[in-house]
Amino acid sequence: MASALRAAILGHVRVPVVVANGSKLLAPLWTHRTTAVRSMSSHDDHLEKNQVIDRILDIVKSFPKVDPSKVTPEVHFQKDLGLDSLDNVEIIMAIEEEFKLEIPDKEADKIDSCALAIEYVYNHPMAS
Amino acid sequence: MAFALRVKVPPNSATLEEARHRTFDFFRAACRSIPSIMDIYNLYDVVNPSQLRSTIAAEIRKNAHITNPKVIDMLLFKGMEELSNITEHAKQRHHIIGQYVVGNQGLVQDVATKDENLSSFLKNFYKTNYF
Repeated sequence: MASALRAAILGHVRVPVVVANGSKLLAPLWTHRTTAVRSMSSHDDHLEKNQVIDRILDIVKSFPKVDPSKVTPEVHFQKDLGLDSLDNVEIIMAIEEEFKLEIPDKEADKIDSCALAIEYVYNHPMAS
Repeated sequence: MAFALRVKVPPNSATLEEARHRTFDFFRAACRSIPSIMDIYNLYDVVNPSQLRSTIAAEIRKNAHITNPKVIDMLLFKGMEELSNITEHAKQRHHIIGQYVVGNQGLVQDVATKDENLSSFLKNFYKTNYF
């Protein structure tokens, strides 16, 4: 009786496990873990995007040589605001101070517009 | 003597581009030491970090017209010397305030009518000790 039931069930229920190699079996589990909310992690108080935008725009607007009415989230520091490369570095340093970051030189050189700065800070895990 | 032994001069910049890059590196280093400078000299009630940053940028911009890499290297060396003197507390508070906070505006600004007839010698005398 029991063996007949077992055979009937096993005939219908198939477990679709394909073991091509060992790591594939673990992979879905692992990606699930990393995307899940890590409630006790110190990195979890991540900044909201519009919060980042507001704070960066405030920094740029408070820069003495900048006309505040020209500042938008897409503005390019040198082409649109008429700043030079030293002013550019100065703004990056102000952003570092505001968000308590240290941006490596190579990446700091690439940031030349508000949009890039916002993207960098928003994607930085330690920004606060 | 101990100071003289510790100084290490980097090799000259080969190109203007390299000297330019070093200038930015120096500017970043100076900016990153601003919080500790504010701490050492207790500058919180007279200045804020962004003003100091602008002052450093203005000092660098004074020499923006120079295109000889060797001269830029020399100026950078002097700048680093100044920065390390400041961060080692080799100066006093009034040096920092006189040079970088009050800066070139001077202690006495000639806005009043009585200042109009002042001789330029006296104006320069009031203006600053630091050139």
